[in-house]
Amino acid sequence: MNFTTTKPPVKYNQQRSLKRALNLNIALIVLAIASVILRALTPLAEDAAMTNLDIAFKAFLMMAVGVIVSVMVEVFYAISEGTIQKFEVYKRWIDPINTGLLIALLLPSTTPIYALVISVIVGVYAGKLVFGGYGYYIFNPVLVAVLFAHLTFGGQMDITGTPLLLMKEAVFGSSVELSLQSLLIGNYTAVAIGSTSVLLLFAVFVYLCVTKVIDLRISITYLLTIFLVSLGIGFINFTTQGMLIYTLVNMITGLTMFGAVFLVSESVSSPTSRETKIAYAVIVGILVMLIRVLSAEPEGVVFAILFGNLLTPFMNRTVKRSQTKGLIKTVVISIVAIVIVSGAIGFIVQSRIIENLNETAALFGGIL
Amino acid sequence: MITENKTYLDPRKVYLPITDEDARVASLQVAEEDEVKVGQIIAKKYRGKEAIPVIATVSGKVLGVEQRIDRFGKVIDHVIIENDRKNTLEAFDTFDGEVPTQIIRNQLLRLGIHQVSLDGLYTDIRFDQPIEHLMVDAIYTNEPFISLDYDCIVKEAEEITDGILLLAKACKAKTVTLLVDKFMNQEALDEIGKAISDTIIELEVINSKKMNGVDYKIARKLINRRPSINLLDDGIMFTTVFVARSAYQVIRQGLPLTTRKVALTGDAFVTNALYDVRIGTLFEYLVEDLGGYTDEEALSCHIGNFLSGNQVESDAFSIAAHIDSIDVSRYRDVEEDVCIKCGDCNDICPTDILPQNIMDAELRSVNERIVELHTDDCIECGLCTYVCPSKINVLEWVRRAKRRVG
Repeated sequence: MNFTTTKPPVKYNQQRSLKRALNLNIALIVLAIASVILRALTPLAEDAAMTNLDIAFKAFLMMAVGVIVSVMVEVFYAISEGTIQKFEVYKRWIDPINTGLLIALLLPSTTPIYALVISVIVGVYAGKLVFGGYGYYIFNPVLVAVLFAHLTFGGQMDITGTPLLLMKEAVFGSSVELSLQSLLIGNYTAVAIGSTSVLLLFAVFVYLCVTKVIDLRISITYLLTIFLVSLGIGFINFTTQGMLIYTLVNMITGLTMFGAVFLVSESVSSPTSRETKIAYAVIVGILVMLIRVLSAEPEGVVFAILFGNLLTPFMNRTVKRSQTKGLIKTVVISIVAIVIVSGAIGFIVQSRIIENLNETAALFGGIL
Repeated sequence: MITENKTYLDPRKVYLPITDEDARVASLQVAEEDEVKVGQIIAKKYRGKEAIPVIATVSGKVLGVEQRIDRFGKVIDHVIIENDRKNTLEAFDTFDGEVPTQIIRNQLLRLGIHQVSLDGLYTDIRFDQPIEHLMVDAIYTNEPFISLDYDCIVKEAEEITDGILLLAKACKAKTVTLLVDKFMNQEALDEIGKAISDTIIELEVINSKKMNGVDYKIARKLINRRPSINLLDDGIMFTTVFVARSAYQVIRQGLPLTTRKVALTGDAFVTNALYDVRIGTLFEYLVEDLGGYTDEEALSCHIGNFLSGNQVESDAFSIAAHIDSIDVSRYRDVEEDVCIKCGDCNDICPTDILPQNIMDAELRSVNERIVELHTDDCIECGLCTYVCPSKINVLEWVRRAKRRVG
């Protein structure tokens, strides 16, 4: 009797890449539908140009277009490469669908459809396919597309009056009125369709954690970093109550939670080992807060995570072994970095440092 | 799931390999047509200067020497003995009470307990290096994939305990750890608990369903540093309760190691069984006894641990002392997906190396990076492949990297 042989090991556990991609797909579809429904149900300001249903329909249209264009780009690319037969199996369709849906969810509902189409083409082609497709890209293609849209069509999708922008003005003394209830159900001027109810996003977060699609360490560290940095900034600039409100707004509005669920722990473009995962999440979290507070942009998650992706190959190269010593070192350095950065941003926002520098410099003839 | 306990103790002929992986030179001690008794030395194999006796497991006539494949698929010399079914035993001394260390060592070597468990982390029974810790595994290989009723442990708990203590005496171990499974049946756990009370044996209850290299972690805790590939180098002897039971028989009853327990599993058999089988029996005989294969098409035969064993191309090998489990299943071609860089392999690795990064370095053929990543520390436990969601054979990549840098 002769046998066919393979190389051991011959047993695998229950985890499968396909299963993870499918779970992500299910979560995304649920989130997309729920966000459209929420958008349609929530009451809007009276002077708005579009009614709720219009906005909801526009959001739905964007998602559909995003998915169709993303799939078409991949299929056309496969045809041109002569590898169309790989699309015979269903699992090849999941990733293009996820990408298209995520791009649509990350753009505001005011985006013109042509801008979306061009962004998806750029994101999928330049962000994913030129690197070799799923599993090989170094930048998250979703973020490449969104960055492209922001840089190119920034004028057409200008957003004003998001809670985060209001908070930025609040630092300089203007008063802000926000209701916690409407923030929780996502009833505010959002920077993207996907920035819906934080409760809904949290439910998706739990589902994806249980199914092990997302790495808990990255997401939790990222959220914790944003929490601590915003707490530090609030501590320096506001009273205790103001500090808490500032932190809350930073945590539950904008793309913070959406980023934690779908973007930060996207496995292909994030580092692979324990220490680097934590360092990566801390760097991204700090950058999010830096961009939010210091730049003119309403949201920093997209840029921050792209910068994190940029650092990923370098970070992967720095580790030699995952040791407890290294882990403790990483955590300590991260905490120190968070404290220093939150203090620094807090004072820069308050302009105290610059004033002091100017006063000191005045002694030398007012150079600054 | 193992449903039956069977015995197969009287094969027509036995085929005994006279060399092994470590000892490649052997001198034959018997000639053709010689009558041998059970326990008689038929050959001596040499590992360096040390001579290790190979003993006859049945009594009868030596038919000659033949080249056959062993469990690793290598062609080596086997002595063939025709069984006369009389089971004439060569007389050996028995010892009661306290036995001096040197006598236990000599008896174990003389009566065939040398290389009994081979898979995974198990070490040989050798005393040429100082040993401080003895670890004994009561969990059968391939748990939790096959489930055993541990009937033998229930029946022979006292003997096993005595055997463990004899082994501890032989290697002058300071600590003795017995590994048991949380999911063993309660009766076995109770019997073991009762037998080892008032001894120096410590019980370590582990969860075999978790599959996280817990034996390596226990070894690491014992010596307080990262163990090397061969635990003997770190002063740890790691073996199974089967060896402990055989040690009891060798010392107390003067019985040489002639039989062993082999689990025959897989969907190619109608029933799966735990066999008590004479060492040297051809695997074909066992298959015949079990009712043959259900399906002759595209089977694969896996010997030993599912994660770190090996596969053979033919069923013409004989049962050696170090074969504890044989699985014959339908061949399944697993389709590899692309690596999604989730880092699960990096998290599970018991030696704290980074298999994903090693695989990446191997793909790019960067020798320096492979050395830098401590690739030589890999113990080839196979857990990286086990957890891989893309079903990539990470272990094979790490092995390739190891071979590349020597």
